[in-house]
Amino acid sequence: MNRPLNHGAETRKTGAIDGVKLAILNNRWEAVARKMANTLLRTGRSGVLATARDFSCCIVTADNRLLATAESIPIHVLVGPDMMARSMCELHPDLKPGDAFLHNSPYHGCSHAADLSILVPVFDDDGRHRYTAIVKAHQADIGNSIPTTYFGHARDVYNEGALIFPAVQVQRDYKDIEDIIRMCRMRIRVPDQWWGDYLGMIGAGRIAEREIRAVGAEFGWDALVELGEQWFSYSADRMKAAIAKLPKKTASSSSTHDPLPGTPAEGVKINATVAVDPDEGFIDIDLTDNIDALELGINVSEACTRTAALIGVFNSIDHTVPRNAGSFSRVRLKLREGAVVGIPQHPTSCSVATTNVADRISNAVQTAIAAMDSRFGQAETGALSPATMAVISGKDPRKGKPFVNQIFLGATAGAGTPGQDSWITIAHAGNAGMLYIDSIEILEMAYPIRCYQRRLVTDSEGAGEFTGAPSLMGEYGPDGCAMTVNAVSDGTINAAKGAAGGGAAAGARQYRKRADGSLEELPVVVSVTIAPDERVLSFSCGGGGFGDPRARAPERVLQDLREGLITADRARDVYGIAVTDGHEIDRGATQRLRNS
Amino acid sequence: MRFATDTGGTFTDLVVEDDDGFVRMFKASTTPDDPIRGVLDVLQVAADDYGMSRAEMLAKGDLFIHGTTRAINAIVTGTAAKTALLCTWGNPEVLVLREGGRIEPFNFTVPYPKPYIPRALTFEVPERILHDGSVDQPLDEAALLAIIAEMKARGVEAVAVSLLWSVVNPVHELRIGALLAEHLPGVPVTLSHEVNPILREYRRTSATAIDASLKPLMTTYMQTLEARLREAGFAGRVLVLTSQGGVLDAADVARQPIHSINSGPSMAPVAGRYFAEADCAAKDAIVADTGGTTYDVSLIRGGTIPWARETWIGQPFRGHMTGFPSIDVKSVGAGGGSIASVDEGGLLSVGPRSAGSVPGPVCYGKGGVEPTVTDAALVLGYLDPDNFLGGAIALDLGAAERAIEERIARPLGLSVFEAASAILDVVTENMVQAIDDITVAQGFDPANAVLIGGGGAAGFNSVLIARRLGCKTLVMPQVGAALSAGGGLISELTNNFRVIAATRTNAFDADLVARTLKDLREKAEAFLAATGDQAIESRMTFSFEGHYPSQVWDIEVPLPSDRIDDVKALETAFHDTHEALFAVRDEGAPVEIVSWRVDVAVKIRSGSIGQMQNIGRGGKSTRRNCYFRETGLGEVRLASFSDMTEDDRVRGPAIVESPFTTVVVFPGSEARKVASGSVVIELLGENA
Repeated sequence: MNRPLNHGAETRKTGAIDGVKLAILNNRWEAVARKMANTLLRTGRSGVLATARDFSCCIVTADNRLLATAESIPIHVLVGPDMMARSMCELHPDLKPGDAFLHNSPYHGCSHAADLSILVPVFDDDGRHRYTAIVKAHQADIGNSIPTTYFGHARDVYNEGALIFPAVQVQRDYKDIEDIIRMCRMRIRVPDQWWGDYLGMIGAGRIAEREIRAVGAEFGWDALVELGEQWFSYSADRMKAAIAKLPKKTASSSSTHDPLPGTPAEGVKINATVAVDPDEGFIDIDLTDNIDALELGINVSEACTRTAALIGVFNSIDHTVPRNAGSFSRVRLKLREGAVVGIPQHPTSCSVATTNVADRISNAVQTAIAAMDSRFGQAETGALSPATMAVISGKDPRKGKPFVNQIFLGATAGAGTPGQDSWITIAHAGNAGMLYIDSIEILEMAYPIRCYQRRLVTDSEGAGEFTGAPSLMGEYGPDGCAMTVNAVSDGTINAAKGAAGGGAAAGARQYRKRADGSLEELPVVVSVTIAPDERVLSFSCGGGGFGDPRARAPERVLQDLREGLITADRARDVYGIAVTDGHEIDRGATQRLRNS
Repeated sequence: MRFATDTGGTFTDLVVEDDDGFVRMFKASTTPDDPIRGVLDVLQVAADDYGMSRAEMLAKGDLFIHGTTRAINAIVTGTAAKTALLCTWGNPEVLVLREGGRIEPFNFTVPYPKPYIPRALTFEVPERILHDGSVDQPLDEAALLAIIAEMKARGVEAVAVSLLWSVVNPVHELRIGALLAEHLPGVPVTLSHEVNPILREYRRTSATAIDASLKPLMTTYMQTLEARLREAGFAGRVLVLTSQGGVLDAADVARQPIHSINSGPSMAPVAGRYFAEADCAAKDAIVADTGGTTYDVSLIRGGTIPWARETWIGQPFRGHMTGFPSIDVKSVGAGGGSIASVDEGGLLSVGPRSAGSVPGPVCYGKGGVEPTVTDAALVLGYLDPDNFLGGAIALDLGAAERAIEERIARPLGLSVFEAASAILDVVTENMVQAIDDITVAQGFDPANAVLIGGGGAAGFNSVLIARRLGCKTLVMPQVGAALSAGGGLISELTNNFRVIAATRTNAFDADLVARTLKDLREKAEAFLAATGDQAIESRMTFSFEGHYPSQVWDIEVPLPSDRIDDVKALETAFHDTHEALFAVRDEGAPVEIVSWRVDVAVKIRSGSIGQMQNIGRGGKSTRRNCYFRETGLGEVRLASFSDMTEDDRVRGPAIVESPFTTVVVFPGSEARKVASGSVVIELLGENA
């Protein structure tokens, strides 16, 4: 929160807008969303939720505009919650206190089927619907036909197999509708774990209801609406001012997802044309020049298409612009129905909508902006999901029970930016580094898994004046049982590209490591059963570098060398830095290298 | 007699409580090259005041309570020991990857944090223990010896050992500890299962790394402190303030210096809560401690001291996690010593650079050339040049005026008075921002709280801060100038013990639990037995940490006693706590219990803090020439903490003074004195 600096005794009110009251209220909304998030994190049962924090919490106005979010993974919350709330209002015109709804339909505004959400409409004392609290959480399982929440080869939603809930009522008068619960328990693997997560989500929704009602009582419901409008208009103005700093240019860029059976041979190339109008304060993004939807699970839902494009924009501008319906209104998208990114039609499968192809949208947008002016934009962020982020399943010999869960041993994919090296633990563009990484101890305690190694790979970073993340190697295997491993990878052929003269990062790779130590490379869509004496070896796709590596500050190169992130050969060949045996810079030789 | 000292960045504070319950307060300059000298100096000042020799005075003492910023300063300035990390083979990135997570998802201006121990000093030890404690791969001692040789060659000064699953089976950590003692003698070592026996390797490793890196420094410091106090004649017990707001024996802190990271600042909220309740029966209070270098703020809500479950040094996900909960205090670089400067663009900034105690503000005449907040206050007439710290330091008004004239007023085209007022305004703004972060940013309106102004420099602008925040009441406690030391007087000796002993309520291992609780009681009793005869009253609180099946985070549930007769009642207590925290309960589900804990708190004093004795004012005048924006230069009323009665009303513009602090009562506010000796200032009119 920045309160405008005014000297001493001046009044705290600035014109018609009460800046301090607005700041207090906005932070209060965010505090409500944080409280929801904390509830979910602390009560959740699946690792994906309670360890990795793959969820989001937000508040939407009665007319379905995004008001406030807890800082969450961006791909979950920028656009989507508003669309989901709208579908709830349209499908259930007679909302009442005590209602709650399940929602995971990508055809009605959800990101993908795995992000099962709970919507709680919140009412004032007169029974008027004022806000909707939304909890969205990636589930450990959603009843797909195979044990993964990312089904890359799903031909359509039927083959995908998830239960789809287009804003289906799950609570009335604060009580569960048991029919719905029973359906979930019959279809979702490890139903007790699901039930625990469901309880945590309902708890978060009800906590939000309690807190929102307290805010309403304190400020007055109508005053809240008025202040909300002020907040939206302030946010739109901030966005306009941020866009005014960009050049008046139009640029096109593309980013390509690796081919897999069912895609064109070149893979899935995503084209974006970005037009910046700093005078009027708008950015227009055209995503219509893209192929038709595929008979695969990697199509991108409308919510994720819109969000991924916005991520590319927000990655490129002043980060202090608030993110809500006000600022989003300054970015206009052109989408096409029936395209691989855009507005998919039922029964197109969007099982993997939050990561793979969606990240290619963000990359195309941020590299287009970098191409306009190297003071803005970013290089490409690396691709998800290497096998260190797979869904694992099997039968736990210690408990005699089946298990299924996504693991988060980590992926390092952060992109180089115009002024800073990458935030290395960004796993892909859509998560912005917000996810947690599994503790080996917690993982080994909860599942029959052994984590053998986790280390950064030397000389794998996207070289640049500002570097992209190096690749992360992980090696794990089952502990006393067979284990099925499912992941939809990317970035082996199309590793993260650099921008503004920066280099590409090392790409992703996955292997089965047999008992004799030999390696079998696995395809982009990893779906294998690992024998008890085998292991998985995985390399994440690093992030692209930004700017000419030979312009990188020598001290930074030296630091990378001393820390073992790069070798002396790479320092010399790529960065033009020569070092002595004692790991000090050889000034003369360096000057010759950099001048050559 | 009891002594409570707090070594700040600028002053070393001392509060002495004599056996009749009366207190006196003293200050001396902090001596960064040898901070203990500053402690002995301030003890000398006290002895002089009591009319005894220092040895005589110290001989009467039974408790010496000490707060120090030594540990945190070493971390922040990167002067902690050169520390190596020994980790399990295959897991070398534990401090690099941390637990993931980030704040501000679209802020790409902040660099990824460097690991607390560099990769270059991280060594992988071939060994592996599994989750059930079994040894999968025995410790490769030959490889370890090679690593030790390498560490020796690299001049490593401390070693952190943190292996996977050491909390379940510490055998490899213990063996490494023994081999280090043998082959790397004299180099301090921290073993993770000893310093912080928790699951989750990052936070345990981070705690281990921080602890080890502080050992060389803090061990020396604690031993020297104790030795020099003994030498000076003190025979009592030396206690150190901890991040948890309690005290521990100095020797314990030397063994686990990580507990002293927030020593000092953590006591201000303890004292602040006391005065908020005693002076205005307020449950919501902003406690602000203005030192010379830093401004430490915390928010008391509903009478509860703010507690951070996960403590970060620096910002969350950008700094380093300590792995321990602690009292939550936010610190920014603003205080009496903050340096004012005008940049090329004509922008006035104040802090975070501080003149500290050396050279100090310009007016100290110790070589400072850049004007500070204290210089501005002096120029404005708020400080008495002849009676600063009871006359301990004579202030050079002319030098302060010249510095402000030359470096601030002229570049900005202002008069010296206007320039000095602007300095106060800017530092006020910085302080308001810090309070905004803990109030407005949390959705709490600071107008609903009282402001507690502690610290020697608090009086210059606390009224301005209160006015900017909309607070109606400001409390300046009598011991406010040494708020942390004052908190030290009322702190309790605290400790806790934790044992990991897993069981579940539907297969309850009554024997294991009984043994565990017995073990905890014995540990607690041993601690109590060692507390000596100062204990007035002690409390033991038992609790367990557990979760519903497959939940990953535990909640803490208090136990009524250390005997468990009814497992159902235990379950119900868990359901109730869970519902209170998270709005849901999973009735019928069993509870998995992970660990058991006992918290011990020992009260070592009773009653309220007594009236201050040595606050008589040196000067005799009752008026002083001061400059205020609203009224210009003119004579205003000068009152003193000691002479004021409870019926007095001092309306601004005015000054209320004690030897340790000057409270500027700005126009539009009114001061009165209350029973505890605090001065309470109400902000009047529409600005309030």
